[in-house]
Amino acid sequence: MSTAAATISKTPFHKYWVILSTRTQEDMAYRANYVFGAIFRFLPLVTLIFLWYAVYQARKAGGGDLTIRGMTFQDMITYNVLMYVARGFSSVPGTTSDISKDIKDGLLNRYLIKPINYLWYQVMYRLAHKLVFWYVALFTFPPIFFLMRHYFSHTPTLLEWGTFVISLFTAFSIGMLFCSIIGMLAFWFLEISTFLFVIMMIEFFLSGQMIPLNILPASMQPFLTFSPFGYEGYWPCMILMGKVPQTQLPQLLGIGFLWVGVFYLISLVIWKMGLKRYSAVGG
Amino acid sequence: MGRYIRLTGLMMKNCLIREMQFKTNFLVRLLTEFMWLGMQFIYIGVIYGQTNSIVGWSMWQMVVLAGTNHVITQLFEALFYDNCIRLTDQIRQGDLDFNLIKPINTQFLVSLRYTDYSSIANSTIGLGVIIFALNKLSVTVGWGDAFLFAALVVNSVLIYYTMLFTLSVWTFWIGRSNNLMELYWQFGQFSRYPGDIYPWLIRAMLKTVIPMLIVSNFPAGVLIHKLESGWIFYGFAMGISFLIFTVWIWQKGLQRYRSASS
Repeated sequence: MSTAAATISKTPFHKYWVILSTRTQEDMAYRANYVFGAIFRFLPLVTLIFLWYAVYQARKAGGGDLTIRGMTFQDMITYNVLMYVARGFSSVPGTTSDISKDIKDGLLNRYLIKPINYLWYQVMYRLAHKLVFWYVALFTFPPIFFLMRHYFSHTPTLLEWGTFVISLFTAFSIGMLFCSIIGMLAFWFLEISTFLFVIMMIEFFLSGQMIPLNILPASMQPFLTFSPFGYEGYWPCMILMGKVPQTQLPQLLGIGFLWVGVFYLISLVIWKMGLKRYSAVGG
Repeated sequence: MGRYIRLTGLMMKNCLIREMQFKTNFLVRLLTEFMWLGMQFIYIGVIYGQTNSIVGWSMWQMVVLAGTNHVITQLFEALFYDNCIRLTDQIRQGDLDFNLIKPINTQFLVSLRYTDYSSIANSTIGLGVIIFALNKLSVTVGWGDAFLFAALVVNSVLIYYTMLFTLSVWTFWIGRSNNLMELYWQFGQFSRYPGDIYPWLIRAMLKTVIPMLIVSNFPAGVLIHKLESGWIFYGFAMGISFLIFTVWIWQKGLQRYRSASS
């Protein structure tokens, strides 16, 4: 055991530390898999750049405005690049299906008899994924960012950097909690995998991965500001791009934290209620 | 030959019987793909909210392209996608044995074993979209063009098949290839928009090594008269060459197959 682990072992966090470190080692064994994914993940950027370039060129030719809702062509590309960073925190692939499978197949038993909290176990599990993801990204992201440097027109202030980092924490928390809650619906519904796809698509759209949310109709904007999904992608990107007025930053962070709190409470309640219904099939 | 046609019929019938046992599943999958198509239209709508024409393509022409792409990807997913995914598992876990001992061409069997009927239903929705958009463009399509379109769609489905099948066969060499499968989704991105948005080098690549522009762009081009006839022959030639390549790589891969627990 390393020294860091030894110090931690004296605290109640010890068991979660063990989960985190073993899971990380396990994932590291498959890092080639990650590297492959990490490189090809950027392929859609090629299409995005040329598509938006064509759109802005067409506007220019038509003598139209060179910004779309305050976003230049450079901004549009920066937004899509930063989205990779935000999603690197908020996306926790497999969480929902793993949790629902554990519940459906009665695999939850093996966790219930252990002195650990299942939800915290899941958090550690996903955190390990994220650690390996970012370890690999340490090598794959910088070259991409270097290639794209001409698109970054805004130098973020210290305040923006700080808010951005906090918003990434919010992004991970919301992503993790939301996926857990959906996964726990398996306590009530036996087959959720198809329903899951619909939810994922709504999340994909409302988090701004497809289109920056400010381009959507003005009538939708109040709803989009208060929806939790924007905090999984759109807001972190816009904050670092300097597109959010300084005065609005505290309000944004506040709403983000509020959603983390709300989702946390919902997950606790659903867990409690769900366990009462849990039939431990096949146990 | 008759044997293969009869067997295809039997496998499809067998899948239809299985499908009918899970009717809600069928409906939900229909709904989700329908939503995905709807989201693509929102995207097109948002983009054309900013300008009337992109590299000479009007909105409804773009919708014809999106519809064509939907027909092709859905037909591909109906016939081949599941089979390719299953193939990687079979290779890794050594389950290929059961297919190898059957008295029929193994590539044929593993490629066409399962059919996904909800995707077939979905491809007809794509066809509806194309007809609607052509109507908006006041374009009438003659029998010749319609036939050519159908042939190029089949060609595109086969190109998708050759690409994903090759990726699956890769498992013989590298043992694990979840992320290779993701490539299908990443590459698919290239066939969704007009080839004209790309600079010549990327366009050339997308017509040769990664032939994603032959998919969608070619058949849609026939309908809206944006494809020169020379390209049509080129498209078919590429489709056939890729198909021959898969036969070769499959044989190569099989030589590396280690079977199960031996």
